[in-house]
Amino acid sequence: MNPAEIALYPFERPGTLAELCRTLSARAGRKERTVLLAGGTDWIVERRLAPPEDPNDLPLVVDVSRLPEMRGITVAREIATIGAAATFLEIKSHPVLSRRAPVLTAMAREVGAVQIQARGTLGGNLASASPAADGAAALMALDADVVLASIHGERRVPLTQFFTGYRATRRAEDEVIVRVEFTLPRTGAHQVWRKVGTRAAQAISKVALAAVAEVARGRGVRSGFGMASVAPVTVSLPSVRALGLAPSLASVSDEELDAATRRDIAPIDDLRSTAAYRAYVASALVKGFFRELRMAAGS
Amino acid sequence: MRMTFVVNGRSRTLDAPPLARLLDILRGPLGLTGTKEGCGEGECGSCTVLLDGVPVNACLVVAGQCDGRTVLTVEGLASRDALSDLQEAFVKEGGAQCGICTPGILMAAHALLATNPQPGEGEIRESIAGNICRCTGYQRIVESIRHAAKEQAARESG
Repeated sequence: MNPAEIALYPFERPGTLAELCRTLSARAGRKERTVLLAGGTDWIVERRLAPPEDPNDLPLVVDVSRLPEMRGITVAREIATIGAAATFLEIKSHPVLSRRAPVLTAMAREVGAVQIQARGTLGGNLASASPAADGAAALMALDADVVLASIHGERRVPLTQFFTGYRATRRAEDEVIVRVEFTLPRTGAHQVWRKVGTRAAQAISKVALAAVAEVARGRGVRSGFGMASVAPVTVSLPSVRALGLAPSLASVSDEELDAATRRDIAPIDDLRSTAAYRAYVASALVKGFFRELRMAAGS
Repeated sequence: MRMTFVVNGRSRTLDAPPLARLLDILRGPLGLTGTKEGCGEGECGSCTVLLDGVPVNACLVVAGQCDGRTVLTVEGLASRDALSDLQEAFVKEGGAQCGICTPGILMAAHALLATNPQPGEGEIRESIAGNICRCTGYQRIVESIRHAAKEQAARESG
């Protein structure tokens, strides 16, 4: 579709979350399509590649980028709350997050160059549900909850259960992602963000690993993982997580880690990489992180 | 949709489709053709402008989202009779060759220097990582930005 065709979509900018929820509810009731637009870094590019839509049946585009209820980052009582429309640039620049959740800061810094950081949001990242979404992987490692709002109120879905298939989520048509929340890892927790791609600034990941772990007296007491671009959805690596909670991290072998990683991913060949390369890199990233944990566990 | 935004210090009101690209509004009705279109999909940074002081790709920003906000384009860098320090530095240090990426790079660098007046080389390179140049190999661009930072510092201390 060319820019002139995209320009024809109807557009609204609600002033409050309540107004947005009413619009969503009414439209969902009438089976009318609605697009929630935040930074546009996915949707606008995808429209360009998509064939033109029927001009008489265009979805309504609703701007959520400036809704006060969806903005801002707060930390209180060890819980971090990030508005769904907070930008990666705001996340990257947040002093408490950079100290306590560096996995998120590092992700935000590498998700794209500053022009993309300034527009992209976690809400968009989660709603688009691309398996390559860096933000989804980092939040999964932090065991974040997704908070959804509708005219019926709020509900909360653990991110590990949010994605239901390729580009599909538990968000209902009449809901909007308003924020994400997670418990801050303890000071001194091990946190890693590793993105493998072709270009430092703007590349979409071939494989990305987010990992958060806490070790106490040789045993794993917190273990969170998120991996992008290795399955139809962002995966939480459940078998690898289980190994991260081993009573003796020092005894976790590379063979066990390889087998667990293989079980947890389903990579494919596509324009960015191959299944074989992705599987190799996924294993290497996981083993690299566990080497760090084993050292911390004193092996 | 009727919208108003401040472009290069001047309030502009116009009627435009809300999902028109900021890029097309700038280059069309506003006649600001300094902002260039490269890839049109947020990869190359040629269309970089500052939205409320922050670099964005004007090809990915829709006009309706700019209502009530402030936009700075490359036309807003120079004063009536003098280039900005940054622009002067690009002229002196050979930071521009074919020139298509230059407006976008100037805007990214302008935003950097506004928040970080004495950036290190790594910070300079990171700030323009979203801008692709196929001529210079980037070295002259980095030197131009460093030169501009020095000029600015000298002016402020002098």
